Parts: sequence; structure tokens; C-alpha cells
Amino acid sequence: MEIAYYPGCSLHSSSALYDVQCREVLGKMGIDLKEIDDWNCCGATSAAKTNDFLSIAMPARNLGIADASGFAEMMIPCASCYSRTLIAQKTLEGDKDLRDKINADLSKKVEGKIRIMSILDLLVDKAKSGDVAAKASIKLTGLKPACYYGCLQTRYPINVNLPDNVENPQGMEIVCEALGIEAIDWGYKTDCCGASAVYNDAGVSLKFIANIMKDAVARGANCLVTTCPMCQMNMDAFQEKAGAQYGISERLPVYFITELVGVSMGIGASELQIDRHFVEATKLMRGLNLL
Amino acid sequence: MSSQMLNLDMEVAGSLAQEVAERSGQNLNACYQCRRCAAGCPVGDATGVTPDRLIRMVLLGDREEALNNRLVWQCVACYTCGTRCPNNIHTARITEVLKQMIKETHAEPLIPRIADFHNAFITSTSHFGRVNEMEFMGIYQMKTAKNELTKGGGISAIIDEIKNLMQLSKSMMKIKRLHMGMERVKGMAEIKKIFKKAKENRK
Repeated sequence: MEIAYYPGCSLHSSSALYDVQCREVLGKMGIDLKEIDDWNCCGATSAAKTNDFLSIAMPARNLGIADASGFAEMMIPCASCYSRTLIAQKTLEGDKDLRDKINADLSKKVEGKIRIMSILDLLVDKAKSGDVAAKASIKLTGLKPACYYGCLQTRYPINVNLPDNVENPQGMEIVCEALGIEAIDWGYKTDCCGASAVYNDAGVSLKFIANIMKDAVARGANCLVTTCPMCQMNMDAFQEKAGAQYGISERLPVYFITELVGVSMGIGASELQIDRHFVEATKLMRGLNLL
Repeated sequence: MSSQMLNLDMEVAGSLAQEVAERSGQNLNACYQCRRCAAGCPVGDATGVTPDRLIRMVLLGDREEALNNRLVWQCVACYTCGTRCPNNIHTARITEVLKQMIKETHAEPLIPRIADFHNAFITSTSHFGRVNEMEFMGIYQMKTAKNELTKGGGISAIIDEIKNLMQLSKSMMKIKRLHMGMERVKGMAEIKKIFKKAKENRK
């Protein structure tokens, strides 16, 4: 089965490992990701903080390209790209004037027919149908992940009608169960990591990161798992700094959900690029004989 | 905001409230100050102003306070306040709109480096249609350095900033997460049109 795919800027640069993992893992499940042509940046949160028209028109161009691709579904792994694209689609669905105004400049017009999916939408479906468990030959016994959702795949400024519980989402827990492990129960799964504040308001962001770390450690997690490249980057790259500042001695690897699924399917550490983490991430898995 | 509260001019108050409500799509009048938003706001401690207070400032027409408080800039757009609001008011949309209003009037942002960051991101996008992290961070550093030199912490603040970034770049390089390549959208003509229309839309 082929579906459209929007990687976004981050998966083409600092989080390129996530792009590789999505293609590998979903490919082995029989889902072939077809990157849409000549996509542009979704505008992320910066567009919404700068210009409302821009924040809708930028993802709209990608939606037009996706609609013209002929695929019924498009998967967007990055939580920010997913959120902004979904918001643009829903906004344009209810605002014909804005849609006409944007479409006037686009060679491929927004039609609003493609279904936007997150990586979790796909994986939860596959977990519920038994496909994940069937392919997951290695049970991840010993891994105690704290599933960290963050903001952008959880909460939206408009009603987008998503099925998961907004205060206590379960999508990643369901996937973990299919991999033979139970994720820990904890209180910070939908808290904010600060996102770009780590670069422009570091005090605020480091405190968020420390709060998330403290709770994960206190509940007995031995790793974090996420679907968002910004959460992954912040929790991974700034864990040392936040830990030192707030007296947290433990360091936890911060996995993408695709790393857990991939390892469970027997895909190697180098193929999944698990060696590209700030907090060393292969040691824990090797210690548990998972790699 | 106290003087404005005592001398409430309904006409002045109404024009600000209406502008913010229309642009953000939020019904500010529905706020009954239950403060569920304040309880969940992760930056409330740092800003001193919580979403309920900001809504009040706008309703009272206190333009000066509404555009010059820390919440407008330090809001991380986590959307917790709006998700929990019993009346469905998304204050993060209000902080987004207030930031846009500050930009449009070319007023000095209360925390310039946060404005610089988002402006740099958008500038980078307008150049190539995609964000190239090295270029984007370069633009951001230039903008903040200019600010630090003219009104901030001077040379030492700039050196600290560069040191932090070098340290991050070094650890990113080690694990091959520093990306040097530049990507450019072929349909830049369309991107330029989008940016032109965005500029015309709000001045």
C-alpha cells in the first residue's frame, strides 16, 4: 500500500534519523511512503506568531500538492507539521473566501480531500489490528518507557475531532503493549518541553525539561519515547544542561516511537540510526539484549 | 492597568476587544474568570500574567498593557488554556494575534529575542521555501546580536550566545545531526506570491 508522505524541514535536517526510521519501519509493514513533490515548510508555530494568512497559506500549498497526488492519505510524522497542516485543512474547509484567495495563486489547488494522518494514527491502527504484534518478533522486555506526547499532537486551537484522550492520551501505550511492554503511568506526558523557547527563552524551557525528567525518573522510567522531533531534540540535546541545573543525575535515552517498533521488528541499530542520539541510546537496549 | 480600570471608556475598550476577537476568532466576552487556564498555564509563574488576566486587559481596552506584558511573548502556544477552557476560549490564539499587532505597528517588542526568533524563521522560509537550520540560526544570531549591542547586555551577552550555539553545534556534529546542505523549493514563484499576499493582508 502506498500513501503520501510529508517529512517537513526537520526530518530533512537535524532529525533525518526519524525520516529513515519512518520509511524503514512502515516499509516493513507494507506501507510505502511516497514523498510529495516540491513541498514547502509548513510555517510551524513561527508563522502563526507572525502572520495568520501565512500560517494557513503555507501548509495550503502542500495540501494542494497532496490533493493532486491522487493518494487518499498523507502521513506527517512531525507533530508541528501535522498540527499546522491539519489546522489549515480544517480552517479552509469552513472558510471558502480564504480558500479561494489562497487557491488563486496555487497551480495545485486545495480541494480538501486528502486525509491527514500522524505516525501514531497509522501505528495505533496497525497495533489494534494485530499487525504490529505479528511483526514484532523481539519483545522489548525490560524497557520501561515514559510515553511523552507533548503539545502539538495533543491540543489544537480549533476543534479537529481527534479520538485520543486529551489529558491522558493512550496511543503510544497501545503501540508499546503490542511490542510486549507496559509503558509507565506518569503525570507529565502532555506537558510542554518549551519547543523553540529553548533557544529564545532558555530559563523557561530548561525548567519544563527538568520537570518532565524528574517525574519520568521518579516513576521508574528507563527511557522516554516520543513522536515529535522537537520534543525529541529538546529532551535529548538539553537533558544534560537541565539535569545539571536542577540536580537530576539520571540520564534517559529519548527514543522515537519508530525506534522501539523497529528494534522489535529486528531492524539493526545502525539501520535505524539509534547511534545518533545526544544521550547514548544503544547501551540500554544492548544491556537488555534487544540489539 | 489600574488607572484604565478606574476610567473605563467603553468605546476605547470596545475597539480593542473587537479587533482581537475578530482576528483571533475567540469570544472573549464568554470568559467568566474561572481561572482554569491560569491553573494549567506552564509559563504563568514566569510571566506573572495568566490568560484570564490578559483577556481582562483586552476587554478593558488597556492597549498598553495588553501589548506589553510577558505572557504575550513567553506564551509557548501549548494550547493547554484553550483546551481546558469551559467556554472554548483559546488564549494562545490571542497571544498570537497580539504579537502580530505589535509587528504591524513596528512597536518595540517587550522581549525582542523571542520576536527575532520567529521573524528569523519566517525570513529563512521566504528565502528558500524550506527552513535550512544553519541559515535560520544565522539570521537569528545576527538579529539578536544587533539587539544586544544596541540595548541589551552588550558584547559579553553576544559571546555567551555564540558559545552556547557552538557547543550545541559541536555535539550535533558528533552524532551527525548538523546538516549543512541547503534545500530550495522549485516553485519559489508561488512561495513569493504567498508572502506578498500575507504582507498585503496585514500592514
